Amino acid sequence: MKLSTKTRYGLRALANLIGQDGCCSIKQISKNEHISSDYLEKIFSKLKKAGILKVERGATGGYNLNCDPKKTTLKEVVNALEKAEFICPDFCSCQSKSVWQKIQSGFTNVLSSITLNQLVDSKTKSVYLDYAASTPVDPEVLNTMLPYFDFSYAGNTMSLHQMGTSASQVVETCRQSFANILNALPKEIIFTASATESNNTVLKGIAFANKSKGKHIIISSIEHDCVLESAAWLKTQGFEISQISVDKDGLLNLDELKKTIRKDTILVSVIHGNNEIGTIQDLASIGQICHDRGVYFHTDASQSFTKVPLDLSKLNIDLLTASSHKIYGPKGAALLYIKTGTKITPLLHGGGHEFGIRSSTLNLPAVVGFTKAAEIAMANFDQENARLIKLRDYLIKNILETIPDSHLNGHPTDRLSNNINISFDRVEGESLLLELDYYGIAASTGSACSSSSLEPSHVLLAIGLKPEQSHGSLRFSLGRFTTKSDADYLLKVLPQVINKFRALSPFKS
Amino acid sequence: MYTQKVLEHFRNPHNFGSMDNPDALGQVGNLACGDVMKLYLKIAKNKDGQDYIEDVKFETLGCAAAIATSSVVTDLAKNKTLTEALKIKNEDIIKALDDLPTIKIHCSLLAADALAEAIYSYFQKTNQPISKELEQLHQRIVTCQTRLKH
Ligand code: FES
Repeated sequence: MKLSTKTRYGLRALANLIGQDGCCSIKQISKNEHISSDYLEKIFSKLKKAGILKVERGATGGYNLNCDPKKTTLKEVVNALEKAEFICPDFCSCQSKSVWQKIQSGFTNVLSSITLNQLVDSKTKSVYLDYAASTPVDPEVLNTMLPYFDFSYAGNTMSLHQMGTSASQVVETCRQSFANILNALPKEIIFTASATESNNTVLKGIAFANKSKGKHIIISSIEHDCVLESAAWLKTQGFEISQISVDKDGLLNLDELKKTIRKDTILVSVIHGNNEIGTIQDLASIGQICHDRGVYFHTDASQSFTKVPLDLSKLNIDLLTASSHKIYGPKGAALLYIKTGTKITPLLHGGGHEFGIRSSTLNLPAVVGFTKAAEIAMANFDQENARLIKLRDYLIKNILETIPDSHLNGHPTDRLSNNINISFDRVEGESLLLELDYYGIAASTGSACSSSSLEPSHVLLAIGLKPEQSHGSLRFSLGRFTTKSDADYLLKVLPQVINKFRALSPFKS
Repeated sequence: MYTQKVLEHFRNPHNFGSMDNPDALGQVGNLACGDVMKLYLKIAKNKDGQDYIEDVKFETLGCAAAIATSSVVTDLAKNKTLTEALKIKNEDIIKALDDLPTIKIHCSLLAADALAEAIYSYFQKTNQPISKELEQLHQRIVTCQTRLKH
């Protein structure tokens, strides 16, 4: 009585194809829906036979609908794929026969009452707009990783036997690949387990290695929690922390930075692309200031890596953090770039892996996956970022236009290609998120109510928002699998959701 | 993280909206995150001549828990005499919702406070005696709010 995989996948694939608005290749759908292309090919050829799909040839060829999605019902689709029957055989006249007949007719009724269009629009639709929190692993990345769980790579990269050696060769290839991408030297790339670890290593490692020069560290007021918390901990260890403010768009106040750097300043750490409001800092200028004053400069590029060009041979950057799970790689891998000659103390002591900076047996499959993910992203850099920017600006423009009392947070143009952050007056973010979730939309908020500390987002306060404005903020972050139809779906749902809660609010416009 | 009951009240809140010419109004803001709840009461006399809550409406700016607790407190208060209604504690609200995450307990206080404030203002308006307990509660709520404004 279970619906077959064929039917479930068939419906999913069809919904995806309709969502793409036009012709779509098997490869694309297989990627979007994580269904193998061979299997899809089988399903689609059945749907073609039934007249539901047709093949289009040519460069942009692939499958397209051959029917009107407003009229074609799920019954036709299911019938084309399998014979779904809930009946006792004819000869049977048991007590339960009528039950099965009822189920059968109910089943048919339901299927014939839902059209393909409704399937796409229905509340079961799921639109993930929280890519800045984490991304799914690209199927191609996963495939690249799988062999590295194998026996032949079982060795510790530090072991001298065959398996250890082959593992360590793989790691060196990965290191080289990142060196190429960032225009750095392979020995300047350290693999870690998370951006949080990289950032902790920088703050604590630079602090303790350069104590003799001074105990003053500068960060921005819009850093990620892992930098803020590391800095707060260093304060308890006798270091002095200064925070540089940002303007209303989130750009660092460079004059203030210049004035704040002292003789005993040892590190400046500024986030590159902000995770909440998307503002991209001018690394060249900040790097120049730090370089002129002989202070180490670190940037957390977790969000910006593969979204903003980063040529380390041209920028005065001494340390840089990048992360795997923000770019369709697996969780549990990240990197830390450390320019040759930088004085830093390791956080993890032990077997001396990663040039002695980070002892720990390397997570080989994760490093391989991270590398593959970065390679894919860099190969599609221009095209994908241009696509995202177009989608981003389309959404921003339409949201601001259709929903009164809404305000964009962050810089309008110096902005991550995938980030949208908007405040809506007189509503609260957590309730918005929960309601959006009913429509299958995943987003995030800077509202105090949704944070574990019940404190509003420090980033939104830093750009001058009042607590009540940060309350009603939503972040939508787009990604590789976000389509125009996802965007249109959001534009359809969001105004209803905002209106619902504005009607509930004691404050009226 | 929320129980089914919370989600039900959140999605389809009971008795929400404003009220024309309410007999009593309670407005409270919450210290922890600056959320606001407004509760309107229509008060009538029952056959024993006691004041009771004939109708109640709420408006809330806040999280799902704040909306759900507002909704449930209106349910609990409706048709109760004022004396009975004053006995509704935030534990009752939490129980009616099958539970609340610990971090959201303050939202249920918000709802209970709004009700108490509304009744307090009604007693004041109609020159009815105010118990020592209610007076203390009122003082606590007011100090919370003034602190919030700073
Ligand atoms: S209203 Fe802010 S946490 Fe409930």
